Amino acid sequence: MSEHSLQSSHTIGIPLTNAVPSAIEQDDLLLVAASKNGDQEAFAQLVQRYQRRVFNLVYRMLQQYEEATEITQETFLAAWQGLPSFRGDARFPTWLYRIAYNCSLKQLELRKRDRALQVALEAEKILEDANNEQRENAELEARDRQVLVQEHLSHLPAKYRIVLILRHLQDMTYEEMAEILTMPIGTIKTHLFRARNLLKERLQSLNRESDMGYRGW
Amino acid sequence: MRCKEATQQLQLYLDNRLTIKQVRALEAHLAYCNACLEELTIIEEVVNDLQTFKVVVEPDDLNAQIMRRVAIAASQRNAPASRFSLWHPTLLEIVVAATLATIATIGTILQQPSIRALLPFANGHDGLSLAFLNILHTLMTVDSTTLIFALWIGGTILGICITLILAGAEMRTQWFKAMMELLPVR
Repeated sequence: MSEHSLQSSHTIGIPLTNAVPSAIEQDDLLLVAASKNGDQEAFAQLVQRYQRRVFNLVYRMLQQYEEATEITQETFLAAWQGLPSFRGDARFPTWLYRIAYNCSLKQLELRKRDRALQVALEAEKILEDANNEQRENAELEARDRQVLVQEHLSHLPAKYRIVLILRHLQDMTYEEMAEILTMPIGTIKTHLFRARNLLKERLQSLNRESDMGYRGW
Repeated sequence: MRCKEATQQLQLYLDNRLTIKQVRALEAHLAYCNACLEELTIIEEVVNDLQTFKVVVEPDDLNAQIMRRVAIAASQRNAPASRFSLWHPTLLEIVVAATLATIATIGTILQQPSIRALLPFANGHDGLSLAFLNILHTLMTVDSTTLIFALWIGGTILGICITLILAGAEMRTQWFKAMMELLPVR
């Protein structure tokens, strides 16, 4: 992760907040209409506008940079191919996020099935760990609470992870999340409640362990 | 308000999803309940941690990569021959298919006495038509259901054969593979 540029969500050029002015929505509609007619330039503008948000959503779901790059490409390709079926019932980013989420879920399923790849990745990781033991130790010392939260987030079930990502990284409302995930708002509330509680419990147990370790040492 | 109810509302409180009445009731509870206040602080910390997640910058050439794939997809979609790209039968396949199609339609022709009379064969006097009429008579004497069933089976087999021959080698391979997968025992 450290090799990839990180920016605070408040400092990037494209705001992650979903408080999109209607002018952008209108512009989206024009670009979508042009893209439907095969205008690739128009679609490139849509890609430029939403690629960071889609990439971050996919990256937080998959936690792997290269894989997130590939799945982001697949998301936009699926969007291009699915444009004829986009009727404008939902906003374009909502529709795009739904595709990104489904592509991420599909990739997570593939990962589960592809056990050989997992074993290979683990073996590679062990080798890398052994080679970089000193660097690893230094990194462990430097780990802060936020990194731990990220790690715990990646171990949550996908249905809980997505609501936390949409709510806190993409700053979405319950209504927007319900639209993207095609779930009732009540389910969104329940998933958010359980997700935060799981995260809280895991962090608390970690804190307890570190306290005990510190006392024991 | 009880602690259980308060705990359930804490997250909604942080997300501004409570009504003014609910907020007042919860805040009144928090004013005297240290346990719930502590719970609120912990959840607040978790939420703050989540909200300070850094934005990861995508690769510089992501847009170009996406548009390259879009261009390929667009060119494939616009290609007029793509719909029949798998259909390229050989001359032999066309001849065999045409022969089978002729055999399949010959029964219909032979059923018409006026057409039969015009033909130099199958008019009731030569060997071919006699053999055909004998087979037809045998089937008719068994019973009409058997005759229809036999014709239906024969027609279906002929139809499948013609379709497969015309579909080309690649499509045939795919069809056989699909059929083999459907078999319960391999």
